[in-house]
Amino acid sequence: MSNTAPRSSLFIRYFSTLFAAAVIPLLIAGGSDAWFGYHDQRARLNDVLDAEARLAAEKIGDFIDGIRDQLAWTVQLPWSDNPGDRRRLDALRLLRQAPAVESLSLVDAKGKERLFVSRIGLNRIEGGDDHSTKPAVRGALSDRTWFGPVTFQDGSEPFMTIAIAGTRAAAGVAVAEVNLKFIWEVVSGIRVGRTGEAFVLDRPGRLVAHPDIGLVLQADEAAQKPLQILRAAILTRSGQAAAGQDIAGNMVMAAMAPIPGLDWSVIVTQPLAEAFGPIYTALRRTGVLLIAGAALAAILAYWMTQRMVGPIRVLEDGVAQIGAGQFEHRINLATSDEFERLATRFNEMATELSVSQERSERINRLKRFLAPQVAELIERSGDDRVLDGRRVEVVAVFCDLRGFTAFSVRAEPETVIRVLREYYDALETVVSDHGATLINFYGDGAMILVNAPVSCVDPALRAVNMASDMQKSMQSLLAGWRALDDRLGFGVGLAMGLATVGRIGSQGRLHYTAIGNAVNLASRLCSSAEDSEILIDRAAASAVGSSIPLIELDPRTLKGFDQPVPVFAVTTGRAARTEI
Amino acid sequence: MVTVSQLDEGAPKPARSRLSGYADILRLTKWEMLAEETILLWVPRAFAEATDGLKRRGFIALTGAAAASIIPAHAQAMPVIGYLGSESPERYSSRLGAFRDGLGQSGYAEGRNVAIEFRWAQGQYSRLPSLAKDLASSQLTVMVAPGGAEVALAAKSATATIPIVFEMGGDPIALGVVDSLSRPGGNLTGVSSLSVEVSRKRLEFMREVRPGTKVFAVAINPASPTSASQLKNLHVAADSLGLNLVVLKASTEPEFEGMFAAVHEAQAGGLVFSSDPYFTYRSRQLAALASRRGVPAITQSRDFPLAGGLMSYGGDFHQSHHHTGVYAGRILKGEKPSNLPVQRVTKVELFINLNAASALNITFPSSLLSSADQVIE
Repeated sequence: MSNTAPRSSLFIRYFSTLFAAAVIPLLIAGGSDAWFGYHDQRARLNDVLDAEARLAAEKIGDFIDGIRDQLAWTVQLPWSDNPGDRRRLDALRLLRQAPAVESLSLVDAKGKERLFVSRIGLNRIEGGDDHSTKPAVRGALSDRTWFGPVTFQDGSEPFMTIAIAGTRAAAGVAVAEVNLKFIWEVVSGIRVGRTGEAFVLDRPGRLVAHPDIGLVLQADEAAQKPLQILRAAILTRSGQAAAGQDIAGNMVMAAMAPIPGLDWSVIVTQPLAEAFGPIYTALRRTGVLLIAGAALAAILAYWMTQRMVGPIRVLEDGVAQIGAGQFEHRINLATSDEFERLATRFNEMATELSVSQERSERINRLKRFLAPQVAELIERSGDDRVLDGRRVEVVAVFCDLRGFTAFSVRAEPETVIRVLREYYDALETVVSDHGATLINFYGDGAMILVNAPVSCVDPALRAVNMASDMQKSMQSLLAGWRALDDRLGFGVGLAMGLATVGRIGSQGRLHYTAIGNAVNLASRLCSSAEDSEILIDRAAASAVGSSIPLIELDPRTLKGFDQPVPVFAVTTGRAARTEI
Repeated sequence: MVTVSQLDEGAPKPARSRLSGYADILRLTKWEMLAEETILLWVPRAFAEATDGLKRRGFIALTGAAAASIIPAHAQAMPVIGYLGSESPERYSSRLGAFRDGLGQSGYAEGRNVAIEFRWAQGQYSRLPSLAKDLASSQLTVMVAPGGAEVALAAKSATATIPIVFEMGGDPIALGVVDSLSRPGGNLTGVSSLSVEVSRKRLEFMREVRPGTKVFAVAINPASPTSASQLKNLHVAADSLGLNLVVLKASTEPEFEGMFAAVHEAQAGGLVFSSDPYFTYRSRQLAALASRRGVPAITQSRDFPLAGGLMSYGGDFHQSHHHTGVYAGRILKGEKPSNLPVQRVTKVELFINLNAASALNITFPSSLLSSADQVIE
């Protein structure tokens, strides 16, 4: 193959175009899908975490409310001087009902402690201590419900004081110490997603409740710093989930909800990996689909391009082969499209080329063997069937130079060759002008056929006219040659009759010739003719009729003919010569 | 059909690569010339070559050398828990069950992924330090010291490196086991219950059961590290309740008989047991003695009323031993004891046996009955 091949190729162009046509929409679709999916999921995550946070806040609020409701029972009735045992039973029942309450003191309207029950310490009845100045009592009296700050007993366990005042001032105030560790049961029951969790921070940001109770019991504010940062991060994005670190340093998504009544925040977190798991899954899925789509597109593009380029290659190969001369090559394409049509055209072209080539070759070959006039004739007709053997009425014309042999002995070879060339040229011109066929030159003679291989109208007349022209032409030549040798002359004999014409020859040589009586007769007449004489046999003469004036000479005895043969002569030739 | 080659055998074929090469030799028709032009436009030679080349090259096979990551499979030796018990396995059986529950919650099961080495003092608490040392000398991942301050202290004295998870009733700070509940520090952490702190509540309950009496007997185990503080608390409580206490001491089983006899001699309204594991693990014995002697008594452990004793008030040992198991598991998982705060089991439970009460001719006040976590009838 040629090494001047252009660097860019249709294959790459078609492949990349088809591939891009398939992949770009895929990428756009996949990309937008991922983009919108991400935003949807992000919004959904916000909603989910927000809902979880509010639910968790509600659960913890319920826990606190439960205790508050229990406490409210104990401050329904006003204190009398002698309350009896009923209050104590109520209080004990409360401890039984609310396990988070560690101790409970009931204070009357004057702020005096009337009853104290505890799980650990000794119960007191009518203790009488003045609690009126305690913040819990004052807070409850002004706001009905009072929540104390979270304290860490022994630096570990979170406790809070809850005080509640009765609807009437006379009912007094119930003050309960609540062990907040019990919120653990609520918090540990909250599951956000699969591994997410909820925890509670009080107003200063101390951990009040966490599924890992140890973190609460550690009461380590430094360690809880990330949680406060997380809360601050959520606060800056109001209503939105925020990303941040949990206490262990893991990245989480977090949302927050306040607990009504308390200045606590419930924060729900979900590990980032889990929160964005669906997004990542969707992205991965999209990625895999994109890759698969791209692969499919590549395969399709490759296939399509192959389908496109394959035929072109076949065409190219085929054309190259045809170009290299293999006209028998056929381009086989069954694509039922333009390619197949093009291939058909090429095949047709190859056929045509083959025919042309064959014809040309045959003519070239014929030209090599046949007389140029015959070959040209065939070339013109484009059909060498005219050379096929047949019997046809021909006019055989023979002519030769008189006294040439003697001249050739005397004269220089160059002169002889020049004379012969002029002679041949002149003859050829005349023969050609008359549409006759110069069969052969032999020495100073020539054989011309009229009406074979190409038939013509009125061959005898044509032959006679031609002979006359030949004589004219030759006589003018001879006039020039007289200086060389005045004994040179030119005679013509022609005869008409049926003859077998056709190609004859061996492998290496080929002749077109005529065989028959007329040929022999014409040859004899030519021999018998003198310079500037045209001798015609009876058949030709009668065929010419009166068109040309002929003179009947005495019958002559010719070699090979038993009887004397009637001979006619064309007067013009002699007349012309006479004139010259 | 006569072909060129047939006509022209032997003659060398002209190696023409372009149609134009023979276009002047052969008389091409007009459309043949047109076709030639079309070909020249349409069929760049490189085309076929390019496709051919691409075919030859083919697709690049991406053979990812899959690096086979062979994780060396070290024979992971099973972690060993050293379990130091002050009594016998029989007396510990319910506690062991709770402990194994907690261990299971952390993902460990004995024999499957953890081995437990036991040492039992069989009630001889003086043997605990040597048993603890013995345990510490073996390859332990964690030592579990449940069943009171004696066990915890024995374990603490035996090792300063092996993590220890204790379980006890008293205040671990006051007893010198840890410095801080939230950050225990060192190699110890564990679970404490409120049993020791609530011994005064037992006196209060006993007074409610026997409202007509001012004298009550208190059982103290002088061998216990918490006895002094408990006795002090009880005296304070008795003072505030206006009661007199008769202190009875027993630190061995043979002394129990005499102790119950002394209750009657002192004409005490009932016997209040201080919180002490030695007593707790002998609840059955004590219950039997109490009913035989007709002594109303209250101990720290639910085992006592369950065995026929009158009542109990104290921490939930099931919870505390369960938490001990959980902590042991967490330490097995690699957590440091210093990062695990000491957990306090805040639940305190009141058990009442009404059968024992009727045998003793005692009527429980409704305040107690309504406060009870479980009433055995």
